[in-house]
Amino acid sequence: MKIELNPESPAVRGRRQGLSPISRPDDSLDGVIERFEALQRRTDSPVATIRKLPARDPRWVDFPKEIDGRLREALASKGIEKLYSHQAQSWDRIANGKHAVIVTPTASGKTICYNLPVLNGLASDPSACALYLFPTKALAVDQLEEFNSLGAALESDIRAFTYDGDTPSDARRVIRRRANVVLSNPDMLHSGVLPHHTRWARFFEHLRYVVIDELHAYRGVFGSHLANVLRRLKRIAAFYGSNPQFICCSATIANPKELAQSLTEERFDLVDDNGAPRGEKFFVFYNPPVVNAQLGIRRSYVNEARRLAESFLERGRQTLVFANSRLVTEILTRYLKESVGRPPGGQAAVRGYRGGYLPRERREIERQLRDGKVLGVVATNALELGIDIGSLDAVVLAGYPGSIASTWQRAGRAGRRNAASVTVLVASSAPLDQYVIEHPEYFFDGSPEHAHVNPDNLEILVSHLKCAAFELPIQVGERFGPHDTGEMCAFLQETGVLHHAGGAWHWTSEAYPADAISLRRITSDNFVVVDISGGSKVIGEVAFPAALTTLHEKAIYLHEGQLFHVDRLDFTERKAYVRRVECGYYTDAVEHTQVERLEGFDDDSLGASLASHGEVRITSRVVGFKKIRFHTNENVGDGKLSMPEQEMHTTAFWLLFPAASLASLPFSTTEIRDGLVGLGNVLRTVGAVLLMCDPRDLGVSTSSSKDESEAVLCPEIFLYDNFPGGIGQSEPLFRMRASLVSMARELIESCPCKEGCPRCVGAPGEVGEKAKAVALQLLAALTSIHQQQEAA
Amino acid sequence: MRRITQADIEQLRRRINDAAERAIDNHEPVGRPTPAQQPSAPSRHGAFRLAGEERQSSLGRCWLQEHLIPNDRMHGTIRVGDLQLMRGGWLTSVSDGEAQPVDPGRWAFLDTETTGLAGGTGTCAFLVGVGAIETGGFRVRLFFMRDYDEEPAMLEALSECLNQYDALITYNGKSYDVPLLETRFRLKRQACPLGRLRHIDLLYPARRIWRERMSNCRLGTLESEVLGFGRHDDVPGALIPHRYFNYLKTGNPAGLRPVFRHNVLDLVSLACLGAVLMPTFAAPGETTFRHGEDMLGLARWLRKKGDREGALELYRKAIRAGLPPGCLYASIWESARLEGQAGNRRIQVRLLQDLSRVANPYRGSAFEQLAKYYEHREKDFRAALEMTRNAHLHAPSEDLAYRERRLLRKAGDDARAGVTRHARIASRESVPFRPTVADVAS
Repeated sequence: MKIELNPESPAVRGRRQGLSPISRPDDSLDGVIERFEALQRRTDSPVATIRKLPARDPRWVDFPKEIDGRLREALASKGIEKLYSHQAQSWDRIANGKHAVIVTPTASGKTICYNLPVLNGLASDPSACALYLFPTKALAVDQLEEFNSLGAALESDIRAFTYDGDTPSDARRVIRRRANVVLSNPDMLHSGVLPHHTRWARFFEHLRYVVIDELHAYRGVFGSHLANVLRRLKRIAAFYGSNPQFICCSATIANPKELAQSLTEERFDLVDDNGAPRGEKFFVFYNPPVVNAQLGIRRSYVNEARRLAESFLERGRQTLVFANSRLVTEILTRYLKESVGRPPGGQAAVRGYRGGYLPRERREIERQLRDGKVLGVVATNALELGIDIGSLDAVVLAGYPGSIASTWQRAGRAGRRNAASVTVLVASSAPLDQYVIEHPEYFFDGSPEHAHVNPDNLEILVSHLKCAAFELPIQVGERFGPHDTGEMCAFLQETGVLHHAGGAWHWTSEAYPADAISLRRITSDNFVVVDISGGSKVIGEVAFPAALTTLHEKAIYLHEGQLFHVDRLDFTERKAYVRRVECGYYTDAVEHTQVERLEGFDDDSLGASLASHGEVRITSRVVGFKKIRFHTNENVGDGKLSMPEQEMHTTAFWLLFPAASLASLPFSTTEIRDGLVGLGNVLRTVGAVLLMCDPRDLGVSTSSSKDESEAVLCPEIFLYDNFPGGIGQSEPLFRMRASLVSMARELIESCPCKEGCPRCVGAPGEVGEKAKAVALQLLAALTSIHQQQEAA
Repeated sequence: MRRITQADIEQLRRRINDAAERAIDNHEPVGRPTPAQQPSAPSRHGAFRLAGEERQSSLGRCWLQEHLIPNDRMHGTIRVGDLQLMRGGWLTSVSDGEAQPVDPGRWAFLDTETTGLAGGTGTCAFLVGVGAIETGGFRVRLFFMRDYDEEPAMLEALSECLNQYDALITYNGKSYDVPLLETRFRLKRQACPLGRLRHIDLLYPARRIWRERMSNCRLGTLESEVLGFGRHDDVPGALIPHRYFNYLKTGNPAGLRPVFRHNVLDLVSLACLGAVLMPTFAAPGETTFRHGEDMLGLARWLRKKGDREGALELYRKAIRAGLPPGCLYASIWESARLEGQAGNRRIQVRLLQDLSRVANPYRGSAFEQLAKYYEHREKDFRAALEMTRNAHLHAPSEDLAYRERRLLRKAGDDARAGVTRHARIASRESVPFRPTVADVAS
């Protein structure tokens, strides 16, 4: 099949404001929307919802008078004669010395919001310095270009550099001595800058601005770490007599201001009134047709996503497909490569993109997207962050991304200023996907998720206190964030790393503490993937936990849709040796998870059960894998594996059912166990809705423990924070336990299926035939007694 | 504000202990406090059981110790009194012209003992030794902090001491001791005295000389191999931080005595190594080095400086003194290039021919150079062709294949033109000169 690339390459479309985009004759997207509308009118249509988000005109504001003339000229030379209203508002707040957090969608000119005040500040004070933090190295590189293109026009001596793990050591010396703008990432600040702050003395003495872009990326563990790194940054800045102003930018989340405040422990002004224009935009909710109503089985969402993507690609529309896992990303890449093919003599028209690819390959794909040299890309959330890939015609979401915020973020990749664009959400049969499809208002009118961080997670806090002590002795009575450090320092003295002398705690260990703390995961370990089919070539890297499920021996590893058989996984060398194969199936690892209670913080009876929250230990192990045939998804074999255990301490909310309360139920032990698993699935969905978090942030597990008399086993359901140390989701779940139970009941009761389906407790094939009935009985018991208690 | 309570800490302790027991992949060993490790502050009131005296200033107290190593003391094969023969101008040659001459009486030798090798602001120099050449011998002053709160006073005392000197001599000080001390001064907000001093780091000249002969150029290695000094009961460098931490916990300085001694010996070795190195750099032609490898190092230094004649002289000396095969071939190859640059084509060709006769890493390159020589200088395309084929045999490459094709053409043209240079080749072969390594060296 021959594909003609979009004749109007995005390379010629102005991304930056003010460049007039080339008008397009076919704003209806070649009738795509009309066809969706026609399809929607049919009975049992898979098209559940079509929302049109109207085009919006820009709101302009004149340049504020205070802006340096040279800077204004520089902007004018790039075609920027006026500011969008939100840019002007940010300017106001920042010029007034306020810490500001700016929330605007993708491609609304947010970098101007911080570059303008920073450049203006630097123009008036050439010794002033600014630190920019991005969650990834790639974004820093991207933004350096943007920054320099403005800075160069200023003719003042502004020296901006990226500073990260890739910076060669001789360049580092120059940067430390001369830079006044440093673009880096939290990891580098944590392990490469703060522990060597004396070499950065000039920079810290003159540090006036700290810019944190992609603020929403700092949730969960990463955010909790960043908050502590920023505590250290502020402490070092104070040592050198500076008190920088924070400027944060975030994609739409429910609590940007709160997040900025908890990360920096400063008071913020919020700017969220977007003045940038937008082209007409369509949002389509697509639910694959039901093929078996009784079992609640729908057509595979992966195949449906592929068909939809094909229909855009065939029309030469640049399309981005987002999948929720590496595996689905690779499978879709393979399918689309098969069907779209490559233009004669040209680049592959479709490429995959995910975290494990080598940076050089990723940069190439980003460039090809920008230049219109690649027509379609299948990506994981790795492309969700603000890397400049231009704007595309269509986005297909294969499965609900898990949160409102990240759905909008991904959908934001489609959108021309002056042309229509479309995003299609293809729902999987997972409960949350089905919930969203059936409650479009939840998505369109609801608030996006909260980003939770817990800077006071004791393990994280103490790790960073060690780093802080390494950087500067901790004075007796000194606070770290809001915390009194006395008890923690005494504890660290016991472990031998601190020593008290002369009214301060000093670091007395040979170790470099920052090295032992990774901001993003438990271990900083990763595996490299070595292709040994003819020679030996490194083709990718995989983080430790993911390696266990994707690189075990006999696994089929996918890279850009190509299949590789894992011949050997070398644990000590952290290498996986793979060989190119063509085999018609892929593998999916089977993981077993166990939860063990360590300590309860609080408990209360909930009907017949006992609800608690507290600390748990999660042990998981990959025990085997399934071989799954492409296209049909048949299970064509399986294998056993013996892999090492992974362990994590976290917090959890749990329900314990006394054996007596279940004795009266007319079900077998197996059926009750299935019912508990089903109920767990529902509680997790509802829990994610209540917490407004991504369901992947919540783990679910069922187990049983002996009761006090040690005689009978009492089943338990755990909902745990899926982050080491916990990020504070368990306590709110405990507080909202009554709503949790009543909403779960409502969800199951309102589900039209007979014996359970993926939308509620799970498919009967997975959780048994009685799961729905048992789950309802369990819930009925819980709520009725609960109501009686409340009535009493 | 949420106060971290004793209960939180208990919980953390339990969690950490638990993790330590169960960890599969624990990178950072988590030590559990044992009763023996319980801290007990060093006794400040009782007498400090180390030689020396307390110094007190507005910044607090610290501890000083002084040693005079008499001139008649032998440090290995070096007499300490030989340090008196040092010349101010030697600093200039050993630093490649970077440092101006400074009177040896105003040289400060410096070495630190630190709380670790990690670097960064959390690493501290708890003991700093400064050595100086005085008429009566080699004077060593040690500056010691008995606890972390004595660091400001210690740095102040060090600073005052260094103010008497104009040059600083260290071993690996450029990348280690000096940045570390700069950080300490900066952290204590004190002016750093080091920037004013002309700094000579002897690691670099030492590497030039001994890289080929020594497995490494650590001060300890050179001390025994070059100075012939053997230490007994020395404390290994890796244990020094531990000794200090242990002293902080127990207050007992007994374990530190060997650390002090270690530092004094390091300084004496540093000075003696200077006495060996500096005169050689000042007058390379008169070097007293006996080892071919050492002379080779010197030759390379001269070559880099652009002293072609001096370098060639030392290459010859090195070859004469005897070299292991690797160094020998390298020396011949390098001197062949120098001879070529000097215009001594005949000698260059002889050296290259030498290299082309035996198996060695430069054989292919020697053939290639010979091929170029015959093609461009002698215009003898057949000889060039032969050399090219030999080169191709030893190190095949595209370039050589191309050269061979070109020469074939040229040699063919010659043949058609009736020109033969065979006779010339024959006559050259009959020159009654059989160059050997020994000839070259003589």
